[in-house]
This record gives sequence, C-alpha cells and structure tokens, in this order.
Amino acid sequence: MERIQIETRDGATAFAPGEVVEGTASWQLDKPARTVELRLFWYTQGKGDQDVGVVLTVPFPEPALQDRRSFHVVLPQGPYSFSGKLISLLWALEVVAEPGSRAGRIEIVVSPSRREIVLQPHFLVV
Amino acid sequence: MRARDNPFAAQCVQAIPYRLSGSTWEKLLDRLAALRCRAALVGPHGRGKTTLLEELARRLDERGLRTRRIVLREGDRRLSGAQRETLFRSLTARDVLLVDGAEQFGRLAWLEVRTRSRAAGGLVITSHRPGLLPTLYECRTTPELLAGIVADLVGREEAGRLPPAEDLLVRHGGNVRDALRDLYDFCAGITSSPAARTGSP
Repeated sequence: MERIQIETRDGATAFAPGEVVEGTASWQLDKPARTVELRLFWYTQGKGDQDVGVVLTVPFPEPALQDRRSFHVVLPQGPYSFSGKLISLLWALEVVAEPGSRAGRIEIVVSPSRREIVLQPHFLVV
Repeated sequence: MRARDNPFAAQCVQAIPYRLSGSTWEKLLDRLAALRCRAALVGPHGRGKTTLLEELARRLDERGLRTRRIVLREGDRRLSGAQRETLFRSLTARDVLLVDGAEQFGRLAWLEVRTRSRAAGGLVITSHRPGLLPTLYECRTTPELLAGIVADLVGREEAGRLPPAEDLLVRHGGNVRDALRDLYDFCAGITSSPAARTGSP
C-alpha cells in the first residue's frame, strides 16, 4: 500500500508569516515516481468556486520507491489563514508523486497570532 | 459555522458524482458510440449537466480517448482564440471535444464547431435546449435525487434536521445547485430556514 507523509519539526502546524518550516517528507510507493515534489499552497473553501495559489515547489531529485527527504521552506507574508461564513482560506503542505498524482498533505495555519483568524459579522445600526 | 466546515461548500458539492436516473454508464456509453460520439446532454440550469459532462470526460479518458473541454459563459456567442486553440489544434480521431453551454453559440460559431469537429473522434455538448445534436441524456432533478445528495453530504440523521428536499426544489424551480446553495446559507446561519420562506410547514 502506498504512503506519503509529511512531518514538520516538533509536529508544529501553526506558524507566523515569514517563519521557516522545516520537516521531512517520506514515502513508500508501489510504482516508481518520475518526480516527487513538495508544494506550499493556499486554497479557499466555501460557497463560491475554489481559488488556489501555489507559493513554491521544492523538487526531490531522483526519488526512490521508499525514501525520506528533509525540507526547509520560508513562508510568505500572506495571505493569512482565516475563516468567515462565506469563505475560508487555508494553507497546506503537500508532497505529490507523479505520475498518478499520489499525494500526502498536512494543513498548516499562517497568521501573526499563529491561529486562524475568525471573521465576525458586524452590523451597522443606523 | 466556518466556511471550511460547511458541508455544502462548493468543493464538497462538486465531489458528489452524477447520479444517472433510469440508465447506467454502460448503456450511456453504448448509446454515445451508437451516435458516433456526437451528442448532447440536455437540461435547464442546475440539473447537473456540467457534473455529468465531467464524469463522462473522465470515463472517456479512461478508455484512451483525449478530451478537450471548453466552457461557455452567458453571452459567449462566439469562440475566443484560446478556445479555438483548445478545441481544434492538431485534432485527431482520438480527440473528443466537449463544449459546456453550447446553447450560447451564435449560428456561425455553432456551424464552425460542427464543421471543424469532423476531424475529431467526437463532439459532446451540454445545452439548455434539445436540437443542436441528438440528445444523449436529459438531466432531470427530483426531490429524491436532492435528498440523496444531501444525505451523502451530511449523513441521513443530519439531513432529517434540514429543510425538506421537496420544499427546496419547489422554491428553486428544480435547480439543485441553487437548492444546495440555499442549504449552505442555512448551515452558515446566513439565512433562516429556506423551508420557512416557502411557507411550508
């Protein structure tokens, strides 16, 4: 059975903008992969169509069937992780093996407080 | 409820596969072959034509064909340069052209697509009205269909706490997509019960 995993140092999943994320990617594949790469991206979820922004990709050269690689990425200054009623913006690290789009991912939070920003509705009273 | 937790978020809804009614995928693909792979998926707004076209594309790709898809928006009477490139560049018999929203075409654009698609292995369109190509499948919605989708998204128990599918479908004139958006708002606490607004008990 195929397995692709991402682990961050000390299991951290919440970071401040500009912070460095270090960790390891490991995988056990049934079929050889031509490429394996780490992707840092944000995406939206909610009522409307999904939007995605891939911020960076880190290729792991000459991937073996069973392998373990370390990574080191610098987070951008934004956008921050947030949630409202209509839209959430989430960050994730994903390792993708091609062909086959085999992937493993972890969700992370990126914000100055290291917590997802929860948008509160404001009512204008006239 | 946060958008990310809403069971009716667009990504969750899009992940629900199309449910054929009164047919099977085998029969549908046989009929498509009998129509020389030139056919239309027909139905009004919000009946699942796009979802069905995407599922069909996946199955055609699995059979070794290459699908090329364009989506027409309201008012797109003619093809853009990029759409022409997508559809017609280096066409072979292995290529199947998929046009979502073909009812938008003007006469000349439709004539161009029909003529140039002869070099392809197939042309499958979605359309609000029949007549452009032989109808492969007519997309319809029923309260049972909506109830099934809702149950898939939230589970049967939770579905029982939501407004009835019959009321939602009546309110939205059979448009399942709008009914699911209404349920999104309901779960998000943006609106009160959609059923209450229809005057249903």
